[in-house]
Amino acid sequence: MGFFFEVLIGGLLSGVLYALVALGFVLIYKASGVFNFAQGAMVFFAALTFVGFKELLPGWTGLEESSVVVFWLAFALALASMVVLGILTEKVVLRPLVNQPHITLFMATIGLTFLVEGIAQAIWGANVRGLDLGITDEPIEWILDSADMIVSKFDVFAAALAGILVASLALFFQYTKVGRALRAVADDHQAALSIGIPLQHIWAIVWAVAGFVALVAGLIWGARSGVQFALTFTALKALPVLILGGFTSVPGAIVGGLIIGASEKLAEVYIGPMVGGGIEGWFPYMLALFFLLVRPEGLFGEKHIDRV
Amino acid sequence: MMMNDMAQGAETSSGRRIGEVILDLQNISLSFGGVNALTDISFNVREHEIRSIIGPNGAGKSSMLNVMNGVYHPQKGKILFRGEPRQKMDPHTAAAQGIARTFQNIALFKGMSVLDNIMTGRNMKMKCNLLQHAIFWGKAQKEEIEHRVKVEEVIDFLEIQSIRKTPVGRLPYGLQKRVELGRALAAEPSLLLLDEPMAGMNVEEKQDMCRFILDVNDQFGTTIVLIEHDMGVVMDISDRVVVLDYGKKIGDGTPDEVKNNEDVIAAYLGTSH
Amino acid sequence: MLYREAGQFKATYQEDQQIFPIRQDRVGMAVILAFFFAAVPLIASEYWLQAILIPVLIFSLAAIGLNILTGYAGQLSLGSAAFMAVGAFGAYNFMLRIDGMPFLLAVVLGGLCAAVVGVAFGLPSLRIKGFYLAVATLAAQFFIVWALVKFSWFSNYSSSGVISAQEVNILGFAFDTPILKYLLTLAIVAVLALLAKNLVRSATGRRWMAVRDMDVAAEVIGIRPMRAKLSAFAVSSFYCGVAGALYAYTYLGTVEPEGFNLDLSFKILFMIIIGGVGSMLGSFLGAAFIVLLPIFLNVSMHTMFGDSLPAGLGSNLELIVFGGLIIFFLIVEPHGLARLWALAKDKLRLWPFPH
Repeated sequence: MGFFFEVLIGGLLSGVLYALVALGFVLIYKASGVFNFAQGAMVFFAALTFVGFKELLPGWTGLEESSVVVFWLAFALALASMVVLGILTEKVVLRPLVNQPHITLFMATIGLTFLVEGIAQAIWGANVRGLDLGITDEPIEWILDSADMIVSKFDVFAAALAGILVASLALFFQYTKVGRALRAVADDHQAALSIGIPLQHIWAIVWAVAGFVALVAGLIWGARSGVQFALTFTALKALPVLILGGFTSVPGAIVGGLIIGASEKLAEVYIGPMVGGGIEGWFPYMLALFFLLVRPEGLFGEKHIDRV
Repeated sequence: MMMNDMAQGAETSSGRRIGEVILDLQNISLSFGGVNALTDISFNVREHEIRSIIGPNGAGKSSMLNVMNGVYHPQKGKILFRGEPRQKMDPHTAAAQGIARTFQNIALFKGMSVLDNIMTGRNMKMKCNLLQHAIFWGKAQKEEIEHRVKVEEVIDFLEIQSIRKTPVGRLPYGLQKRVELGRALAAEPSLLLLDEPMAGMNVEEKQDMCRFILDVNDQFGTTIVLIEHDMGVVMDISDRVVVLDYGKKIGDGTPDEVKNNEDVIAAYLGTSH
Repeated sequence: MLYREAGQFKATYQEDQQIFPIRQDRVGMAVILAFFFAAVPLIASEYWLQAILIPVLIFSLAAIGLNILTGYAGQLSLGSAAFMAVGAFGAYNFMLRIDGMPFLLAVVLGGLCAAVVGVAFGLPSLRIKGFYLAVATLAAQFFIVWALVKFSWFSNYSSSGVISAQEVNILGFAFDTPILKYLLTLAIVAVLALLAKNLVRSATGRRWMAVRDMDVAAEVIGIRPMRAKLSAFAVSSFYCGVAGALYAYTYLGTVEPEGFNLDLSFKILFMIIIGGVGSMLGSFLGAAFIVLLPIFLNVSMHTMFGDSLPAGLGSNLELIVFGGLIIFFLIVEPHGLARLWALAKDKLRLWPFPH
């Protein structure tokens, strides 16, 4: 039983990370109706930019690479790059495509994925880089002693960080003026525009926030498994979360992330050996798919009535 | 008690003969998640007549049409089509039984030409399978040409020969409405449901559309159920009119009867009780 | 002056319904076919046949498959490569396990396997739409590749699922040279392209497009959305499956499941975006473009930098150019190269007069 909980907790903790990436999708989808496939590439770009600046900064400033100042300076520069990237995307890619079918926008973001991946590697190189956030990936001792379970310190730290981020974003969008405007835009572009909400402005903010989320996700994933091209696959991890939770629901992304994280790890451990393992790649998709067949509107979606 | 039924075999001014009841709706109630769209509505449609449904916005007129051809399933009530009772009927069955319709907001296939749109109306009558279509020569081609002939008749009837190869998305509103009527007519329906066919048209376009509706009814004997806001048109061309308000039936009868019905006048003009 | 339809009157509906109603187009098509069947084998080098012409033809077929599903029936799929894999492994197993299996039959059966799998993964399309469906097709992509690797029966117990295509032999005649393989591929692709064109101009195609454009209205005129969608999935997967079988037998010779990955699926998607969504011609143009672009980039990089090419720059440049082009086409010409060709023809009709 202890082993079961160990797997479950490990799964839930990684589920929080899935939720974090999924949140980036949800934010942009809610605000602009764009299903941004490039979110994974943005995570990669963010982490790579952070590490890149962190390597360059000591040369520019004469500080130690391990210093706190360098860390936050690199963070700020990476964040600024993400904001610029987000705004450029909005201006150059999405604005000319306003009023196009959603599928067209989606395909444009697939193009964006390739573009961002290529640019990131052209600037910073394609080598795998290590990233140290100062938290080691080792079991928490008192849990190991008292319950005989391995729960990684790093996982707990990452989950806590992601949890705080998700919660504060939820509060931000629920209670601030920008948040209200965003929800109005999500509901109806035309109507929001007609009551004087600056649409472009809101979109820029959302892309910037999505960039910020991508940066945090990139740092956590990057510290875990190295900053490398594989970070772009975080998007593929987040997609089933989105089908499960719905593209428009923040709570859906969180709950969906937890469900996918936990069930994926449990399935790998308990079903995997029966079929030869490696089922993590597709199991979440199948799970989400079967769920959808039963409940097409997703976890938190509203039932849709076709009007004719 | 209002006179609800026009006698079978009655002759209208234009000399059409009104037939038996072909569609009989009994005590229909429909609600969406607790909101009542239709409450306990009963009326019938007789063969060859033009039956109008009128009422203020949100009265449930479109819902009524959706119930008739199986897009919505009423929670309560009975529908008899040609004497056969049916609780659940999907749109496909309705189409197979000869019920065709147009939509309030044009529902054409935007990426296809006028010709192809109207050809889809013949869908129910085309029997070739996928393999025959892939090979094309022989049976499928013969069938395609056979139906093309019918479709060209519809195109001639609606006077849209010059635009047959134009993608419908590029046509002006009035012509799109006409093409949509054409798609419905191509199915050679026995019962035609028209949802605001004249909405947003100017006087001339309305006159054309009226002429088409009357001609369809006259030449092919098609029974027509019509939703329309223009009272002048409704009173002119309908044989009988049913009036809905807030999902309830408040009047039913010939145009003259409805015009003088106090409830109807109250619903349209407002009144102090 | 030469490209004119004036004076060509259609007296019957049959004439009006031809694939190429204009005489010059018919002549042009005949010339193109004659060129590729007769002239190319005489003039093309082995490199051109093996590295360019054969893959372009095979990818055209896969692009036609995806175009049927996405362009005509409106269901976006991100799993085309997986259906190619099913076709390749299906054909391989039929050849392997049944004595005297004719090659062409094995290819068709491989395609049918893909069609069956395609229908299974198309089932969710009955309840979910748009992005949800697109994401759901990823399930096919990951599951199929995983299954082909894990269950080594499919690859006759070879390590990591690699299969080597058997010799291609039709009625005792071995297709073992690049020229013969090219001609075989060309013949199969030409026939299947014609069948696909017939499908999309018949009632089947109209049903697909009706469901794509407005499914509620389609249902009201008696089209069953379920049948239309599933038949599109079946036909689309069949085309991808046949393309996959050819990919193994006439192009690479040796394939592994991992070769049919998400990147390949995206490439096929790019082909139809750049070539033209909902266009047969576009499928060919797009495939040619996507196959030729990396080669072109590679050659031009080498002439610019010589051998001092910075490592990795080539592949990054390819990513950037691909991504940028997709965005460019979606913004500037969403109907792709096929539309540009149509515009050029319109100009040609008036030439040499300005209006």
